[in-house]
Amino acid sequence: MRSRADRVRRVVEWTLRAIALAALVALLWRALRPPGTPRVDVAGADVTAALERWTMSPPGERHVLFDATPDQRTRDWLRALARAGDAVRWSSARPLGAGALVAEPASDPDASTTVRLVSSAGEPVSLGDAAGLIDTLPRGGTAAFELATVEGALRASGATFRATTAPRDSVVLRPVLVVGAAGWESKFTVAALEERGWRVAARARVAPNVEVTQGPLGTIDTSRYSAVILLDSTGASLAPELSRYARSGGGVILGGSAARAVGLSTLAPGGVGRRVAGVAGGVAGATPRSGLGAFRIVSLRPDAVILESRDAAPLVAARRIDAGRVLQSGYDETWRWRMAGGDEAAAAHREWWSRLVAAVAYAPLVARPGAPDVAVDETPYSSLIDALGPATALDRRLTRSIDPLAVDRLLFALLMISLLIEWTSRRLRGAR
Amino acid sequence: VVTEFVFATAQYESGDWDSAPLVPANLIDSVARYTSLAVAPTGAIVSLASDDLFRFPLVFLTGHLPVRFTDAERGNVRRFADRGGMLFVDDHNHDIDGAFHKTAVEEFGRAVGPLAQLPNTHPLYSAFFKFPDGPPNTSHELNGWGDNLVHSHLLAAMRGDRIAVLYSNKDYSSEWGYHPDNKRFLSIDNTKFGVNVIVYALTR
Repeated sequence: MRSRADRVRRVVEWTLRAIALAALVALLWRALRPPGTPRVDVAGADVTAALERWTMSPPGERHVLFDATPDQRTRDWLRALARAGDAVRWSSARPLGAGALVAEPASDPDASTTVRLVSSAGEPVSLGDAAGLIDTLPRGGTAAFELATVEGALRASGATFRATTAPRDSVVLRPVLVVGAAGWESKFTVAALEERGWRVAARARVAPNVEVTQGPLGTIDTSRYSAVILLDSTGASLAPELSRYARSGGGVILGGSAARAVGLSTLAPGGVGRRVAGVAGGVAGATPRSGLGAFRIVSLRPDAVILESRDAAPLVAARRIDAGRVLQSGYDETWRWRMAGGDEAAAAHREWWSRLVAAVAYAPLVARPGAPDVAVDETPYSSLIDALGPATALDRRLTRSIDPLAVDRLLFALLMISLLIEWTSRRLRGAR
Repeated sequence: VVTEFVFATAQYESGDWDSAPLVPANLIDSVARYTSLAVAPTGAIVSLASDDLFRFPLVFLTGHLPVRFTDAERGNVRRFADRGGMLFVDDHNHDIDGAFHKTAVEEFGRAVGPLAQLPNTHPLYSAFFKFPDGPPNTSHELNGWGDNLVHSHLLAAMRGDRIAVLYSNKDYSSEWGYHPDNKRFLSIDNTKFGVNVIVYALTR
């Protein structure tokens, strides 16, 4: 006669067998069932764990909820999943900043790096390199920096993005040739460029067939000069040579009324109009070039770009000619700015001339020795769209609340535990 | 269109700044005669204490009497040299023991920097005409006037490799102090070195 406890025990054992059998049937059904309505796997906070899980799972619908623009590794992983058959979509819990960061060598003899940073307006961004913080943009937007040195990689970090870049190239700069009549403008243009670090060759006409020269002189071509500056019409005879030079990639600056010369007018971005006087005392003010006289640029060519104007009259303009660039500056007495301007006038005059030259200079790129070997991610947001397409709103009705792999694992564990307890119970009461 | 070169003479508080009134016209005549530089037919007089100084990057300064700059003059001279201007100073006494020399050397030493001998191979001596032996001698030197010396070198205070102050004990103020029409009586124009000074200032 079985005791009451023995009967209960047997009922439990039968129940456990039933549970194990049910788990087995469920597992078999899940493995063999026909495909139903696709469900979407959603990854949020722990994207890396989801990526590992999806990599081990059969292809399916994946949706990633980002709260910041993903890094390159995450993007590449998702792109690989998509190419392996997964349907990968993404959306964001908040608007993602479309930041971008690039670093390129400035066409400047001090071997500086020009860094351009763009971020969504309103998002604070900090810029730094391996040596530390360089600057911050409290309200985001667009900024350009001239950095004398960069340590390692450059990083721009905002609340919703992190872009990385590194200077990889440097430029080859050759001398600048300055041609003009001997005078204060030629003297101080040469001085400004030399003080800024440019190597300068010069030809200053002092009498018919007499020139005061300096630096390496020779045929005007891109193997010898990065740029040629004609300050007045004394260089008109160079027009055919300059035309060839510009078309082959050289940079030409036509100062003052130089563009009036026959032959040079075909290169210039525009014609030479009447001269406008500077504002009295202007060179010592906040906008020193307003105090300088200058020739207006008129009859601009369609491809000309205006770089500086006064009272709606273009004073500095540039255009491309085949591989080269030609810049026309109406200013003919910038030396007055350097001599009579405020405390920073000499430095500002140097920088202005250097920028004009840098804007047109022929400066072929070469690999920078010792460039840092870093993974570059200059445009994380556009790279995300390039990898996965634009953001797609998540349809919550299709989301899975439970991971299917976890269900399988749970059923399997239930099966094994039921069998183990049933077997243990049976053996403890002496049955086989 | 090229800005005209204007020959400017410095006016200063102490001394007789206007002791060589014929020099500007004579040098202007020489520049026009030998070069194609656009040069204003008349010179200008500019106060060293005035902001107008910075309109004339080459300024001629001479005199017989002691030179004592005011603070404004000294500050302007320093700034003028720093910006790239050049002062051509000539001792009208031709006397290294004279009041002008002693005080001018001291003042320019304070304002710009110490004056040192300029090598006779300096580009100044080949800027237009060639002066292989350095600065040309003046009749006042050769006649033994003043300090009874023939000065073999000019002095200069430099900014980098550029002359900021060119200082002469040779009394060019007397040598060039005549009406330009009288050049026709000279077998060799003695103002040619003045052309070199101007061309150098305009090109270096």
